[in-house]
Amino acid sequence: MLNSLSSEGITVRNLQDQLDRFAGVAAEPRRVARYPVNEAMIRNWVEAHDDDNPIYVDDAAARAAGRPGVVCPPAMISTWVMAGYRRYREIHRLRAEGHTEDFPYSRLLSLLDEAGFTSVVATDLTQEYVRDIHVGEHITAHITIEAISPMKRTALGNGHFITLLKKYVNQDGELLVEERFRLLRFAPESRKDP
Amino acid sequence: MNQRLTNLSACPVGTALPELSLALDRTSIVATALASQDFEDVHHDPAKAESRGASDIFLSINATNGFVDRYITDWAGPSARITKVSLRLGAPSFPGDTLRMTGEVTEVAGAAVTVRVLGHNERGVHVTADVTVLAGLAGTE
Repeated sequence: MLNSLSSEGITVRNLQDQLDRFAGVAAEPRRVARYPVNEAMIRNWVEAHDDDNPIYVDDAAARAAGRPGVVCPPAMISTWVMAGYRRYREIHRLRAEGHTEDFPYSRLLSLLDEAGFTSVVATDLTQEYVRDIHVGEHITAHITIEAISPMKRTALGNGHFITLLKKYVNQDGELLVEERFRLLRFAPESRKDP
Repeated sequence: MNQRLTNLSACPVGTALPELSLALDRTSIVATALASQDFEDVHHDPAKAESRGASDIFLSINATNGFVDRYITDWAGPSARITKVSLRLGAPSFPGDTLRMTGEVTEVAGAAVTVRVLGHNERGVHVTADVTVLAGLAGTE
């Protein structure tokens, strides 16, 4: 019945219609790594995780373990396509001045921001590693917005889950890692404290 | 180098992995975030983390993923190769927490062994992960 729809219900429905339009859309231009997979960045990573696996830092040990040379820790894959500190600050300065990139993913986040879902937390991650990644490979990520959930009530507050599909390839276009990354955009003030 | 267990074929379903306790502090949370080029303020700025609904800075998902990798290969040895990780985050991990990792073999399919990893902290389950690891590329010693 029409008269049973609150004005809030209509707004929520309009928002969901708008969110659904992003499903299946490329999130942003492909992300090309700023530099090839390299031993210095790998070493920073394994030291921070206090990981003693020698295949990440020692060519001879890697060869003894059946590899041609040192390999990249699997969980490190997303590191290669990060924008870097300077670009990170620049993007945040531009956002604070009201400028956002005109990419589907930025438009999706702006839409959620305007609806009050301003906070973010990563919730799920699946990564399939096709093979080891070696020093010298140049990584590119292709990111697709796979799905946006209806609004859910969570322990953190009301929010929408976004699933991103990320395909990481090397300089020859060879698929290395397929990832599904799910995050929650939520409204912290909507949390109901017990 | 420590002697490591590499003979995954001798690990039937139900095999328990040795526990690993990780004492997290502010420095390790920041160091892991920065090692992955993650400059989000919730991983280094307590006031901003609070303004976003967290009680303090918290461990990044990439860091959790990295610690899960480490937990698996500490046990499986350098010859093993991780082929798939599927993880779900629960309670965030804050400075001062101890992340206690346990694991159990849940599936063996040829050379592929799947382990269910649980990472507990003071407030409950921080991470639940299913990790598939392929036994020894170089054979077992």
